[in-house]
Amino acid sequence: MGDLSIQELVVEYSSGGYALRPINGLSLEVEAGSLAILLGPSGCGKTTLLSCLGGILRPKSGTIKFAGIEVTRLDGGALAQYRRDKVGIVFQAFNLVPSLTALENVMIPLRAAGMSRPASRKRAEELLNRVNPGDRMKHRPGDLSGGQQQRVAVARAIALDPPLILADEPTAHLDFIQVEEVLRLIRELADGDHVVVVATHDSRILPMADRVVELMPAQESTNRSPETVRLKAGEVLFEQCTMGDLIYIVSEGEFDILRELADGGEELVKVAGAGDYFGEIGVLFHMPRSATVRARTDATVVGYTAQSFRERLGAGGMRDLIEHRELAGEQAGSA
Amino acid sequence: MLFAALRDMQWRRRRLVIAIISTGLVFAMTLVLTGLANGFRVEAERTVDSMGVDAFVVKAGAAGPFLGSTPFAPVDLARVTTEPGVDAAAPLATAASTIREGSATRNTTAFGAPEHGPGMPRVSEGRAPSSPDEVAVSSTLGRHVGEDVQVGARILRIVGIVPNSTALAKMPNIFLTTEGLQQLAYNGQPMVTSIGIRGTPRELPQGYQMVARSGGVTDLMRPLQVAVDAITIIALLLWIVAVLIVGSVVYLSALERLRDFAVFKAIGVPTRSILVGLALQALVVTLLAAVVGVILAQLLAPLFPMLVVVPTGAYLVLPVVAIVIGLLASVAGLRRAVAVDPALAFGGP
Repeated sequence: MGDLSIQELVVEYSSGGYALRPINGLSLEVEAGSLAILLGPSGCGKTTLLSCLGGILRPKSGTIKFAGIEVTRLDGGALAQYRRDKVGIVFQAFNLVPSLTALENVMIPLRAAGMSRPASRKRAEELLNRVNPGDRMKHRPGDLSGGQQQRVAVARAIALDPPLILADEPTAHLDFIQVEEVLRLIRELADGDHVVVVATHDSRILPMADRVVELMPAQESTNRSPETVRLKAGEVLFEQCTMGDLIYIVSEGEFDILRELADGGEELVKVAGAGDYFGEIGVLFHMPRSATVRARTDATVVGYTAQSFRERLGAGGMRDLIEHRELAGEQAGSA
Repeated sequence: MLFAALRDMQWRRRRLVIAIISTGLVFAMTLVLTGLANGFRVEAERTVDSMGVDAFVVKAGAAGPFLGSTPFAPVDLARVTTEPGVDAAAPLATAASTIREGSATRNTTAFGAPEHGPGMPRVSEGRAPSSPDEVAVSSTLGRHVGEDVQVGARILRIVGIVPNSTALAKMPNIFLTTEGLQQLAYNGQPMVTSIGIRGTPRELPQGYQMVARSGGVTDLMRPLQVAVDAITIIALLLWIVAVLIVGSVVYLSALERLRDFAVFKAIGVPTRSILVGLALQALVVTLLAAVVGVILAQLLAPLFPMLVVVPTGAYLVLPVVAIVIGLLASVAGLRRAVAVDPALAFGGP
C-alpha cells in the first residue's frame, strides 16, 4: 500500500548552459514501514531526489510511485494536494516561519488543509507534546534551540499524518545531544504504512536505517593493468554525467571532447590527439564525467586506473596531474 | 493563511508603522491639496452667493460678470428690469484694486452695487455703503467701522464689515456703491461689468447674454485655474508616492519572506492563500494610512494661509483609493510570491 517505487529516474537541469544530470537512471524500491537513507557527498543529488519524491521537482524521465499514486504524472492542483496530504518534509535548517510561534508553525499545514482554527490548535498541541514535551509552544523559532526547532519542524511535517516523510540533512545543524533526540524521533516515524526517506552525508546515522542508498557508490579501486580500447570514428568512449574509473591516454587517432548543452546541443571543448590524456579529474575526485568523449577518427586509447596512472607519472605526478601538465615527452588533454 | 500574514505584520510592526505614518502623511497632503483647490471654489461661491443675485446679464461674448467681463454703459438696465420674469435688477461693477496698510500694499477685489442690492452683501457690523466715499470691507482685513482706508488712489470711510468675504486665494473683498466703484476704477465713467438680476428673464435685449451663478463663480476663480491644475498634478504625484511607499514595503516584505513562501508551497499551502495574505498586508497598511491621513489633514489644514475646505466626497473616496493603491502596490510583491519555487525550501540556511 505505502511502498515507494522509483524506476529509471533521470533528473536534468541546466548549469551555465550545460546539461547536468545529478540523478541518472536511478531505480529504487522502499517498503512501507521502513526508513531509507540516501547517502552521498554534496552535489550527488540527494536533495534533488527528495524534491522529486515530494512532488516539488519534475524529473526528465522515469517514474515515481508512492501508495499507488504515480507522482510523476501529477500536475497543478493534484500535485499540491499530494504534497499536502501525502508528504511531510523536514527541511535542512528547519525552515520554520520566524514570525510564528512553534504552535502556529505546526498549525500551517492543518489550516491549509481546511481544519478549523480550534481543531488545528488542538492537533498542533498534541503533536508538539509528542515531539517536544517542553513548554515552549508559544515561543518563536528564534527563542528555541536547534534541537527544539528541529522537533517543531518534525511536528509540522507529520501534522497531517502523511505516509511519506522526507528529511533533508536532519542532523546538519545539531550538536550530538540534539542529534540523538532527533534521530530517535525520526526512527519512530517509520512504522506501519509510513515511509521515511532521509538524505544525509552523515554516515554516523546509518545504523538506524532499514535501507541505505548510496547515490554515488564508490568505484572499485583495485589496480589493474592498462587496457587498450579501439574505437571506430563516431563511437563514444564515455558519456557526460557517468561515472568511470579509467584515465585515458590517446595512442593514435583523434577524439572530440564535448559538453552536452541544456538545449540538447553539444559544445566542442577540444580535440585530443596522440599523447593527450583526459578523464583524470572525475576518476581522482570520484565525480561524474564532465564531458562526453567520442572518436573523431578511428582511434586507440589506453585506459589506466588512478593508481597505475600515478605510477606512470612518478614522484610529484599527482600535482602534475591535477594541474594537467604535459606527460613527460608527450602531449596532454582533458575531460 | 491570514493568521500568518497578520503575525508577519506584528513581526515587522516597526517598519509597517513607519510606512503607515509616511503614507498617512502623503494622504494628508493630498487631502489638504484637494482642500486648497476646493477652497478656491468655495470662497468664490461664498462671494457670489453673498451678492444675492440669481444671474448676471453681461455683454454678448464676455467671459463672465467679474474678471472676464467687458465693461459697458448700463443703458439697457431699465429694459432688463422690465423683462418678464425679472424681479429686480441692479448695475454691478468689479475691478481689481489695492489697499494700503502703512508701507505695505494688499491686493483686493472691489465690487460695486447699489446700497440695497441686489449685489450688495449683508454686513455683520455697521451698514452697507450708501455714498461713493464709503466702503464695506471683509472681516479678514482686520479693520473696523469708522476707520479710513486707502483703496487705489482714493480714501474711503469704512461703514460696514462683511464676514469672511474673500476670493482668489483669501484675497479680501471690498464693497462700494456702483458709483463709488466707477470713481475708483473707471475714472467716474458710468460703466458696469454686469447687471445682477433676481428672477429668470424669458428673454434679454439684443447684445446681451445671461451668466448663471455657477458661471460667475468660474469667472471669479479663473485666474487661479493654473494653480488648481498645478495642485491637481501634485496631488496625482502624491498618490503615486503613496503607491511606491506601500509597494516598496510590501515588495521588501515579499523578498524577505521568499523562503517562507517556498516552505508554504512545499507543504501544500495553495499559492492563492499566500497571495491573499500579502494583499491583506497592503490593504491594512493603506487603510490605516487613510485614517492617519484624515487626522493629519485636520491638523495641517489650519496651518495654511489659504482657505482649505476638504470636500466630504474626498473623505469618502479616500478609503476606496487606499484599497486600489494597496492592491496596485502589492502587484510586484504578488508576482514575486507567485514566482517562488518551492524547491527553494530545500536550500541551506
